[in-house]
Amino acid sequence: MVKIADIQIGQVIRAEFDQINRDLLKRYAKASGDTNPIHTNDAIAERAGLKGVIAHGLFSFGFLTKMFDEFIGLGKDGKIIEIGGEMRGMVRCGDTLITEGKVTKIEGKRVYLDVTQTTITPVEIKKGDEVIKQFEAGERGYISEKDIARGFVKTKEVPEGVLTYRERINLPGHAIIELNE
Amino acid sequence: MKKNAEFLIKTLPTVEIPGSAKVKCRYKKMVEFAKSFGYTDEKYIGSEEKGIFACPGFANAISVKAFYTLIPGVKIEQDGQMRDLLLNPNKLLHASQAYNWENCVPIKNGDSLIAKAAYEKAWVNESMVLFTQMALTVKNQNDELVFSVKTLGAIRPGGY
Repeated sequence: MVKIADIQIGQVIRAEFDQINRDLLKRYAKASGDTNPIHTNDAIAERAGLKGVIAHGLFSFGFLTKMFDEFIGLGKDGKIIEIGGEMRGMVRCGDTLITEGKVTKIEGKRVYLDVTQTTITPVEIKKGDEVIKQFEAGERGYISEKDIARGFVKTKEVPEGVLTYRERINLPGHAIIELNE
Repeated sequence: MKKNAEFLIKTLPTVEIPGSAKVKCRYKKMVEFAKSFGYTDEKYIGSEEKGIFACPGFANAISVKAFYTLIPGVKIEQDGQMRDLLLNPNKLLHASQAYNWENCVPIKNGDSLIAKAAYEKAWVNESMVLFTQMALTVKNQNDELVFSVKTLGAIRPGGY
């Protein structure tokens, strides 16, 4: 059970999701009623200049809501008062979504948080000069010159070699939750 | 374009969005929605007989349906002629979303919701992208508020 006495300024709530795929986007489209084919049909998304399907903005937004809902025990320990965010970047199949809320203010039983949602997009794994694994972003060319210029494209050592990936904030926002005790 | 931007910035906040959107909260949809986010709790995916609540994110599905129902009907008179707000829907981007659940009751399966929308403000940035802010208020069959949401749309040049 989470109580207001347990919350501290600067505390971070975090959730990670790495299961975004075409099947899930189709299920979300059906369940949400947002059936725009740019989210479910690669050919149509390509014709729209998107190089492949993109996740619904409100699908990734939904993970903010879920993170706070789980933090308050699905409503047992409090309630969500407000959640807002700007949809800045496209989210793709194969991306990992990292959602974080940082406590900025506590007022009575209300907790105010700054929120960021970051996408990690794997591009390729290299061993020496050889590409040994290419991910969807590498195959479809999701990474732009702008991404490189802005420093979003990074590398790190993984067991198979060197992974190239893009890391960027796709959704900055805010939230207010109210705890019962 | 500049003329249209000036016209819409001035006019949109006074434009009434006619009618309301009715959304029936069906058990199957609510469960499908909750499962697409990986929820497994009975509160959101339990039996229909016992009754379930909508997960908070279900507000997304309601707001999408409400906007799809309400917005295409909006016509604006400019220079004596009726026009759509969006001249090219491909130029529209969803810029932001802010939900509020202050003094709201939860959504249950079987609820019949009524959504009403209103434009609040419009402005352009230095790239002549037109931003339009709309507010949607959603109540249940007992006239109780279930949520409200402010949605910001960004219409790129050529779209308005």
